[in-house]
Amino acid sequence: MQKSDLENANPTILNVSQLPSREQKRAIARHGPDSSYDHLLFSRESSSDTPSVSENDGRFEHVFDDALDQQEIYDLISTVSDPEHPHTLGELNVVRLPDIHLTPPQRDPRGLATVLVELTPTINHCSLATVIGLAVRFRLEQALPPNYRIDVRMKEGTHAQDEQVNKQLADKERVAAALENDSLQSVVNTMLKTCIV
Amino acid sequence: MAPPTAAAAEISPLPPLHPDLCQRAWASVPHPTLPLLATPHATLVTVFSLATLSKHSVLSGGHARSVRAATWQPGLAPGKLRLVTGSFDATAGLWSWDGGMEREVTANGGEEEGNGEEWEFNLVLEGHENEVKGVAFNPSGQYLATCSRDKSVWIWEDVGVAGGDGEDDDGGEWETVAVLNEHEGDVKAVAWCPDVPGRTGHSRYSADVLATASYDNTVRIWREDSDGEWVCVSVLEGHDATVWGLQWEPKPKDDKTFPRLMTFSADATIRVWTLQQDEEDEEAERQEASSNAFRPAWGGIPNTMRRELREEWECTAILPKAHTREVYSATWSAGSSLVASTGSDGIIALYGEGSPEEDVEMASDANLKATPGSTGLGTNGWRLLATVADGHGSYEINHITWCRRFDAGTDRKGEEEMLITTGDDGVIRPWQVRIS
Repeated sequence: MQKSDLENANPTILNVSQLPSREQKRAIARHGPDSSYDHLLFSRESSSDTPSVSENDGRFEHVFDDALDQQEIYDLISTVSDPEHPHTLGELNVVRLPDIHLTPPQRDPRGLATVLVELTPTINHCSLATVIGLAVRFRLEQALPPNYRIDVRMKEGTHAQDEQVNKQLADKERVAAALENDSLQSVVNTMLKTCIV
Repeated sequence: MAPPTAAAAEISPLPPLHPDLCQRAWASVPHPTLPLLATPHATLVTVFSLATLSKHSVLSGGHARSVRAATWQPGLAPGKLRLVTGSFDATAGLWSWDGGMEREVTANGGEEEGNGEEWEFNLVLEGHENEVKGVAFNPSGQYLATCSRDKSVWIWEDVGVAGGDGEDDDGGEWETVAVLNEHEGDVKAVAWCPDVPGRTGHSRYSADVLATASYDNTVRIWREDSDGEWVCVSVLEGHDATVWGLQWEPKPKDDKTFPRLMTFSADATIRVWTLQQDEEDEEAERQEASSNAFRPAWGGIPNTMRRELREEWECTAILPKAHTREVYSATWSAGSSLVASTGSDGIIALYGEGSPEEDVEMASDANLKATPGSTGLGTNGWRLLATVADGHGSYEINHITWCRRFDAGTDRKGEEEMLITTGDDGVIRPWQVRIS
């Protein structure tokens, strides 16, 4: 993992004021379906396809109230540090708000929510892509409730071995084993030091 | 519209085993004959009593990293227990029970005393370069297969089994019989064909058959030829993603049929594969073999000829679609022949196999039509009988197994089957299955 010289010596760095924030987000259009209709969509689903769900309505409404949005997911992971540069993944534009795709729980009768994060490595052969993906997945696993299923991938066409990296990051067993590896664990811990818990 | 669960079967929760483990547990493995269940979690294995549905004992101190898999050695002398563990620390561990068998008999739980003293860590099987992900014994208990992220499968032989009876309760003597290196990715699981009459149909090989599932999306079948060489006789291609595991058909329909193989995958499907047994070919081979009685064994045949020893395995069914995410586990009952599956979506699904004619009949059934995939590609008589959502709340379910009941809640101790699921929440949950 350790490199004697940097993979990308001169990455583009965004100014903090350029990063998406809560204020800015209010001004821009929401990505994905407007969640204010989800409750309607959900109740229609529950009355037609899945009658058994109706008894759980109370719980799903609760989830609906608490549901996270893309900005909150962004805030959780954009503060993760790059393993190479003294900058965060947000500043390096590795994590981008429009590349966070959320399927909120209230649209799924089983209460599952999925978060898909597509990462944009700083250069297309960045060998640290897997480590960055691992840190992002770990951060989200720690921070999100258990009904969130987390998929972390390299954005299509951004990474030379994205197929391979994506498969690795999607494999629960490999991720679990990697996080028990002392050297990987210490790299990930260092990357997460900049996250506000 | 009626829910698909209304039809033929009902899965209802029983109280979870005591205690909750409060951390990810990977699997729960029932002992082949005794009322015991081994559950790996973190660097430990907790053994539960199926009589009391509570903790029996704990195996600890043998592994530096998580224990991913466990298997009971069959065929030991009465009063002996041996468990093999596979760990992310790249080793397999061999443990034997030194606590007497009273605890199973008196069945009083004994949670206070069960602190691991009675389990002795006998032996470390070293050889794999990375995490060991699966371990399995062949039906006689002579061979152990282990598999790893290093893409290899190792077959170990318990050479102590043939001689004495392992009276000293040490780990016995183990030798490496074979290292199989053909998979192109992590090997996720290993499974030996059960000792059923149909298994011996192919006389060209010894009776034992090993199947392996891999991150390379394939399944491979391995047999021992007459030179004692373990060879890959078939590559099963069809899954579009990692094959998480596999199980042989525990009880084929008749004594002539070779057991089928069930595989389950990150592609959210469960497939059933059947050996294409060409009876004419086999007869011809037998005749040729007897007329050439003087000729040397297969060792004398050039390698190019050996290719004919390949077996044709065909995917003969894809079970009705019940899962939206990876299928981590499926289990095929020896008693009822029903299949149950679970996975990342937290759904528990139950399937039954009817005749293909029934399938045609069923295809017109509105319920089944409403289930995506059930009318599609060759379900071949398999029907979705019941589903349970959120089996472990919002957590992923890592494992499901059929298991006989020994607790006070059943009238048919040792006969009635239940399901046991193991989840990321550390809960081990039994389920009652009623078929109407």
